[in-house]
Amino acid sequence: MLAKLEHVTKRYVKNEGLRDLSLDFPAGEVVGVLGLNGSGKSTLLKLLAGLLFPTSGTVTVFDGAPRSKRANIVFLGENDALWPWMTPSDAMKFMSNLYDDFDAARFTGLLDSLKVPLRKTKTMSRGERGRLRLAMALARNAKLYLLDEPLAGIDLISRESILSSIVQEWHTDETILLSTHEVAEAEGLFERAIYLREGRLALDVSAESLREGGKSVVDTFREVLA
Amino acid sequence: MKRFSTLIWLEHRRNWMWSLPLLGSLLFWAWGIKQVTVMDVGERLGIRAGLLAGAIAIGTLVLCIMIGRIRSETRNGQYQVLLMSPPAGYTHITARFTYAVGVGFAYYVAIGFLFWWVFALAGIHFDARSLVDLILAMPLYGMSVGVFPLLAYTLLLMVFVSAYRISGKGWIPGVVMLLGTPVVLQWIGNGMTRILWTLPSWRVFENVPAAVYEQFGQGEGYEFITSASELDYTGLPIEPMLLMLALTVVFLILAGRIWQEVEA
Repeated sequence: MLAKLEHVTKRYVKNEGLRDLSLDFPAGEVVGVLGLNGSGKSTLLKLLAGLLFPTSGTVTVFDGAPRSKRANIVFLGENDALWPWMTPSDAMKFMSNLYDDFDAARFTGLLDSLKVPLRKTKTMSRGERGRLRLAMALARNAKLYLLDEPLAGIDLISRESILSSIVQEWHTDETILLSTHEVAEAEGLFERAIYLREGRLALDVSAESLREGGKSVVDTFREVLA
Repeated sequence: MKRFSTLIWLEHRRNWMWSLPLLGSLLFWAWGIKQVTVMDVGERLGIRAGLLAGAIAIGTLVLCIMIGRIRSETRNGQYQVLLMSPPAGYTHITARFTYAVGVGFAYYVAIGFLFWWVFALAGIHFDARSLVDLILAMPLYGMSVGVFPLLAYTLLLMVFVSAYRISGKGWIPGVVMLLGTPVVLQWIGNGMTRILWTLPSWRVFENVPAAVYEQFGQGEGYEFITSASELDYTGLPIEPMLLMLALTVVFLILAGRIWQEVEA
């Protein structure tokens, strides 16, 4: 198993992020992490990334604590977290010198295909910055990709190019967890959908079984979470 | 090594807006020195030296602000990127500290030159060895005793605050840490006094010009000293430097360890 959560609860100072969640993530899956605002999607991804520690329960990634395996995990947070002075060329220097699995040629190709302008991020639009961050993330040859709302606040054209890049760059031995509110647009990507409601698991289902039952991921989203 | 140098590069890109004005401020201090035009030579020297003492304090404050901007990085999400990067917390902390120390050393060496100029304006001329003592040994000693531990403590405090969220119930360890600091400082000061001069001293300014003593060496209780040859030369005590360097290392190790506990 690539990643595993066992009876994980995450409490914050004033509220609860996740409650008694147990999940397994084998290698080679594209998983949609779906839910309304505050349902625990970001908390789940951050726990798997090692950016949060569970209040109770255990999280293991590659048979170890997530923080200790961070060199093998790609995490794309929902924050617009690039330095304003950074250009794509700075980003390449930063990534290639810090990450052994960073593929500079792949990064350059992604900059082209995602149409990222070669200027400082402070002069880029939110969509351009989002595409640069995605290029930085997908240019790594990791086994676990945690993409938290990569489509949020981004225009339709950029969303489409981001989704097509994710499809093109995915290898069958890699696991991608993608949280998004753009369920309809991302639906074709998912092999499995995890529905979270108020920090609890509402449904964990394969997309194929939904389709066999004549339902889509979006229909089920409305049915389970409405 | 490639990772460490990349983190130093990152520090430079993040902080040049602080470091360059800090170095540029030396021109301001030089200008300020020239503006002091009181007639009495000793008074003029005293005011100019006081100005430079202010420059030293302001420089230390700027370095602390530069090194401790962790909370804003946390809010902007950049800290998340650093926490997810492969280098260990110790490497991140050491890179931040090294960059600040590098900028600080350049700044204080330049202040050393300004002191030399101030003395020269007062007619006090240093020989080559005393000049090296003034522009290299004194910054090294002063930084070791004051700036290094302060920067390391700032890093520790900011990483601590980020890790244990000084809000809600988390304010308790923060308050304990802040209240405990003066007590610890007093304890360190007492300990230092006990061990002072047990080791051979660092013999800087052995050749300091006699004019310096004539100008400054006649403080209360020392009126009888009118020349350098009458002074019992002691040099600088090495114990505070060793103790503070050790404390700096402890602070950095703790900050590096706490980095592993930070949530984002």
